[in-house]
Amino acid sequence: MNSTVTSERTAARPRRSREDPSALERGIRWTLMIIAVAVVIAPILWQLSSSLKSPGESVGEFPGSLVPENPTLGNYVKAFTSIPLPQYFANSAIISAMGVTTNLVLATLTGYALARINFRGRGLYLTALLATAALPFEVILVSTLMVTRDLRLYDTFLGVVLPQAVSIISILVMRQAFINIPAELEEAATVDGAGTFRIFWSIMLPSVRGSVAVVMVLGFLDSWDQFVWPLVVLSDTSKYPVTVGVEFLSGAFSADQRVMAAAAILVMIPPLLVFFFMQKQVFKGLAGGALKG
Amino acid sequence: MTLTAPARTERAPGAARDRHKRTQRALGKRNPWYVSAAFMAPVLAVQVTFLFVPLVNTFILSFTDAQTIGGGSFIGLENFQRLASDPLFWSATGRSVLYMAVVVPTITALSVSLALLINTGLRGSGVVRGILFSPLVMPMAIVAMMFEWFYRSDGMINQMLHAVHLVNEPVRFLSDPSIALFSIMVVTIWKSSGLYTLILLAALQNTSKELDEAAELDGAGWLRRTWQITLPQVRGTIVLVGILAAIAAIRVFTEPYIMTGGGPSRTTETIVLYLYRNGIAPGTDAGYASAISLFLFSVVVIISAARWLATRRMDGAR
Repeated sequence: MNSTVTSERTAARPRRSREDPSALERGIRWTLMIIAVAVVIAPILWQLSSSLKSPGESVGEFPGSLVPENPTLGNYVKAFTSIPLPQYFANSAIISAMGVTTNLVLATLTGYALARINFRGRGLYLTALLATAALPFEVILVSTLMVTRDLRLYDTFLGVVLPQAVSIISILVMRQAFINIPAELEEAATVDGAGTFRIFWSIMLPSVRGSVAVVMVLGFLDSWDQFVWPLVVLSDTSKYPVTVGVEFLSGAFSADQRVMAAAAILVMIPPLLVFFFMQKQVFKGLAGGALKG
Repeated sequence: MTLTAPARTERAPGAARDRHKRTQRALGKRNPWYVSAAFMAPVLAVQVTFLFVPLVNTFILSFTDAQTIGGGSFIGLENFQRLASDPLFWSATGRSVLYMAVVVPTITALSVSLALLINTGLRGSGVVRGILFSPLVMPMAIVAMMFEWFYRSDGMINQMLHAVHLVNEPVRFLSDPSIALFSIMVVTIWKSSGLYTLILLAALQNTSKELDEAAELDGAGWLRRTWQITLPQVRGTIVLVGILAAIAAIRVFTEPYIMTGGGPSRTTETIVLYLYRNGIAPGTDAGYASAISLFLFSVVVIISAARWLATRRMDGAR
């Protein structure tokens, strides 16, 4: 009885949500949605517009126009030829590749140990991890810089990557993934004589591919977004990643605003591509991670 | 045999917990010490060097007169006394508190509304969703630069205000001391509301549909159902969002650093920007900067404690 009632209700749901809200209510919802979208895309559109304006057209006229008179891709070409943007892109690619790798390897190993291996101090380590999860990096910025100097990692890519080699969220995501694997899988392998390392490599790791993807996406977004730490730890401007580099150039007196706008658009493209093709992983990592932290 | 069991893994958390316990029992103490050492050594090496040591060092340094390049001897509470009577520090703190006071309620209200709006399932909202959430993957530094151009006297906002004849003179969003900080807050809100909406959306999807429908059969309208049925179920998540937004607000650095550099005349200099000024350049005072760091640390601890108290009170009330 009860279940049929429920299922009838659930069946009625989609119909209701289409018919029941009055035209007025739907109108209001759509209007609000459109306003929200407009607020989000307005600054992006403005930047896109500046990046497409030809040299003859002023970007500084008041009043000016949102639609370029003679749209040109020339600024994008210039971004690659007249400023060291390719260098910055290469630096960011190296830093991100290193960051994604360290984050994935460390999170996987640690997550596995925390989920599946009994060792002394595990509870203590997990407590320390959770306690420092909310610790802002800025609190230890000065000391970390001093440690990095002492280790002679100042002004190196390794110095950029190592202090944020693994995010606590990634460790927790991997731990949860390994906890969810049924114990039977492991028991059977143990009976077959497989050791811990073999079980980890050929049974456990393949069954958490979904979470591996989430952690890789998180690692990439974090690496690409980095600003404060590379700004502090790098002194050679030719080692700057894209974020610091573009900011550095745009502060220069001679900076062409149209070219800088084009450069900024180019910097946003990699994370946006990752976002649109791996939306599920991004959502899962960001929402899940924040809830656990 | 069991090896052929489907490798689909992510399942219900309750069952997973039982399984976890079983696994632990099954594994017992069969692993020799070097196995766990092999798994834990890399992370410990990194975290001890770049997390635990710097954290402890921050405490120690704050009682010394060390420079950022090294050295230093014990000077007791001198740094903290200096901090207490440093007007620049206190005005930076005041600005960060104001930042929190404006940004946290705004972000919370905005993300709750957005999550409710999206959760009601509009048709064709997939694209809309993609656009709404795209700011959260854009690098903050680039977003700050984008808004710097957007805010310029010849930027889009001023163009629009001029077009509808609201202003004759361009508004100096970033160079007018009385509004610069607020202009920067808008950027923080623009960039991060998506993240909190996402968190709330995840919580909203776990709310009881039956309860909502029962209330609807009783004739409760959408607004009343939302206020009295849906929102109380995600109260804990709303508190969490407020806490996360508060911690993010006290950390604000990139936006003012890029957009105003702390100006005009220090009116946008936040705590972290002040810390950066005092502890990063070679020859600046690391001991004093560590004292500022510790202050920042204690603010975060207080915010986290508030969260703990809030969740405990809510659990008790149930």
